[in-house]
Amino acid sequence: MDEEDPKEYRWETGYEKTWEVIQEDDDGFLEASVADIIQKSKRKRQALKQGHAKLGMMRHLYIVIDCSDSMSGQDLKPTRLLCTVKLMEAFIEEFFDQNPISQLGIIIMHNKRAEKISELAGNGRKHAKAVKALNRTSLVGEPSLQNGLELALKSLKLLPSHASREILVVMGSLTTCDPTDINVTIENLKTEGVRCCVIGLAAEVHVCRHLANETGGTYNVILEDSHYKDLLFQNVDPPPAAVCLESSLIKMGFPHQMATEGTEDPLTMCMCHIDSADEGSKLTTGGYYCPQCNSKYCELPVECRSCGLTLVSAPHLARSYHHLFPAANYKELPYEHQSAICFACQKSFIADNDKQVYECNNCKKIFCTDCDMFIHDTLHTCPGCATNLATFQMSHSSQ
Amino acid sequence: MTTSSEDVLLQVPQVKYKKGDGTLFLMDSRLAWMVENRDTVAVSHLYADIKTQKISPEGKSKIQLQVVLHSGVSSTFHFTNRNGAQAQAQDRDRVKELLQNLLPKFKRKVDRELEEKNKLLSTNPSLLQLYKDLVMTEVVSSEEFWAQHASQYTQKKNAQSQEIGVSGAFLADIKPQTDGCNGLKYNITADIIECIFKTYPAVKKKYVEHVPAKLTESQFWTKFFQSHYFHRDRKYAESKDVFTECGKIDDQEMKKDIQNGVDDPLVDITEFDDKFIDEGYGTQLEKSNVGNGTVSQAMIKRFNQHSIMVLKATKSKPPENNVPQNGIEPKQQVLHPNGAVPATRTLEESNNLHKSKKQRIHEKISYDDLDTSIDCKQNSIAQLNLSKVERYLHGPMPGSAIEHLSPNDVAAASRNMHQELKQWRSRLPTSALVSPAAAVGALGELSPGGALMRGFQEQSLAQLVPPDIEKEVRNLYLGLCELLSHFWKCFPATSQASEQKLVKMHEALHRFHSAKIKPFEDKLIRELSPLSHNLTKHLNQLLNAAYQKFSTWQKMKMNHR
Repeated sequence: MDEEDPKEYRWETGYEKTWEVIQEDDDGFLEASVADIIQKSKRKRQALKQGHAKLGMMRHLYIVIDCSDSMSGQDLKPTRLLCTVKLMEAFIEEFFDQNPISQLGIIIMHNKRAEKISELAGNGRKHAKAVKALNRTSLVGEPSLQNGLELALKSLKLLPSHASREILVVMGSLTTCDPTDINVTIENLKTEGVRCCVIGLAAEVHVCRHLANETGGTYNVILEDSHYKDLLFQNVDPPPAAVCLESSLIKMGFPHQMATEGTEDPLTMCMCHIDSADEGSKLTTGGYYCPQCNSKYCELPVECRSCGLTLVSAPHLARSYHHLFPAANYKELPYEHQSAICFACQKSFIADNDKQVYECNNCKKIFCTDCDMFIHDTLHTCPGCATNLATFQMSHSSQ
Repeated sequence: MTTSSEDVLLQVPQVKYKKGDGTLFLMDSRLAWMVENRDTVAVSHLYADIKTQKISPEGKSKIQLQVVLHSGVSSTFHFTNRNGAQAQAQDRDRVKELLQNLLPKFKRKVDRELEEKNKLLSTNPSLLQLYKDLVMTEVVSSEEFWAQHASQYTQKKNAQSQEIGVSGAFLADIKPQTDGCNGLKYNITADIIECIFKTYPAVKKKYVEHVPAKLTESQFWTKFFQSHYFHRDRKYAESKDVFTECGKIDDQEMKKDIQNGVDDPLVDITEFDDKFIDEGYGTQLEKSNVGNGTVSQAMIKRFNQHSIMVLKATKSKPPENNVPQNGIEPKQQVLHPNGAVPATRTLEESNNLHKSKKQRIHEKISYDDLDTSIDCKQNSIAQLNLSKVERYLHGPMPGSAIEHLSPNDVAAASRNMHQELKQWRSRLPTSALVSPAAAVGALGELSPGGALMRGFQEQSLAQLVPPDIEKEVRNLYLGLCELLSHFWKCFPATSQASEQKLVKMHEALHRFHSAKIKPFEDKLIRELSPLSHNLTKHLNQLLNAAYQKFSTWQKMKMNHR
């Protein structure tokens, strides 16, 4: 084994010693400390979530991504930009899964200018394609936070008042080069009720902290890529409704298959692909027909091109319920052999490994850590309560 | 003769055109050439038609002037003054200058718009298709088309270009490259030029004065980089540079700023001095040697000047949208040009300054996190008031359709179920559940083309449609979609204008129906009879939905009256 001089620089050794990062705790188990931090913060957020909060469900979110020089830094492997792109694709998918009636738009900042690469729309695939194309953009110049925010504000201003307006900024640079005073822009954002969250990749910057505080958003700086993913996915949940969010009745259409008299289904073309250059509409029989104007669409949710009606299906709206009526938080208990197996996954508890177990307040069943996370993040229903008819209804009404 | 009613601005005899002698006339709206000894005008071009004029280069024996029209046609005039080449050149120059003055007046702005429109149409095939369908068939007039349907395309070009900020290092980033023989090459882009103008307004003034009148652009920038103004040791008093004035102006600005001082009472500039810890931990101010006047002093002065000018470049733009100035930052008050601190500050402004000063001091001495009396953010979240939560969790109860089972029945049913399940011992694979004939019959019905899978038949029918018919159908859908979107946007018809638009769109829909869809249907019936009904059924349904909506709206309007 070669003894190296501890004062040697990393570049001199010629290779990275990644095993040095991992530390062992007293028992000899590997515990990455960052994962610990992530877990703790997740749990804290979970505890804060409570039902019956007014949420902004129809979200219009602009993601502003920094594409300047600093994004070619290699502290996130392989480069900051590539790591961001990958996480963004996952985020977009998760966002539309949890918020089907929302819309997303993407803006990039580079060379002191902002450019919109994807318009505000409810179609996840288009955005994922646009984000993937970012891998090929040239990273040049400095970002301009003001130009990015102004560009997003221009379209957010035109939205109706019942829509929740949000901006998520991913800032890799420590500087921003703006044409005029950014405080003016921040004031405008505040008056329009736009909630700005910022994720910093390098260090905390005062103007970002100011922006987040003024608009009621959050500002966090990442520690490493798993923490980055966690921070990014925090924005999947709908935020609490802004004060100026008015409640209004929203007209929605629930499309159906066409009612046919006779045995033949007519061949029809869809309106969603009607002017797309690469794949034009084809004549098919299946599809969703708008109840107001009868135009056909391939997928839901979508906004009808002819009559402007929002078309959704019932499961899309039901998805939103999970945010309004979340499953009750479980009580954390130290494991004292309350039960031999986890009620949800039937895994048997091992006294040494599982230090904490979780108990549902309603049905009093015991669950393990993984099931607790899964139930609250993805499933949104407690299996114990759901399988017991008596307690199921009670669990929701008692909140 | 038309010449009698027009003013002749210039008359040049002895001008040859296509080997014929004649006289060239320049009128107030056109150019005409008459053959010698004749009265008729052989060649006449309106100035509006002329795109450019060209002259033969110096030194050529033939002195000629060529006029090129928009349509591509060109006419060449040969000046043949018998007094010699110089007179010919003079003649030609006179004509040239007069044309130079006249042509810009007549240059049709409409032409430029037409060119742009043509470009738009050629680059966007879908727009071209829409144009063909809607305007050529007179469903929608041309102005309406460009105003409404193509508006997003025309507006895309007019998208405001963004302002860019000035980064502190913009001059340093112009890295000069040596070009081998002791020279330096500076590459400057439009961005850098804009930054230079923003930061150094004096340079901008010089640019406007000198280019293009006295120097070309590249000459100007060469001089700029050569001048001592740009370099670090500025001893500009000696040289007679274009930019010495700029240096003097900058110095004056600096003096004014120093006199103005800083408005903000909380900022103490003397704190920025160098302090170091002396023996015994006392601090001692370093005494600055004023008489230094060396290069380093000059450089420091340059640095400070540059930074101040960069910062000023951001503040020089007036705030947009009439944001009230006094709320944001006291520093944003416009600096008065006379240099003196505005003595007559309004009472309101000074009150605000006072208030914000207090606020800022308070901010500096208190931390929100440490203050236990601050509520958690949670309580400020708006709460939903839901009266009966169960109503959100279940669908609408039909009421009488539910069977009500008593708990005994439920328990009995459950017990029977358990009994039944206990008897399910083994299931031999050979025990027949269904008869073979029934199984085969079910398979047949469920395979494509069977009784229960009727959709597939239509899918295969879709493949029978030839691609050009499909394309035509697609274009019909495209045109109809465009018209329908404008139609539906008019609802609810609140204003007079939207009602009128609604009626117009309704008529346009009818016209589209008769102009495009009916002929298409007829064509289909003649060519592909089995499909004809199917292909246009949906289009007709779309139109019928729109017609119905219109008629209900009309009825409601009648009822209101």
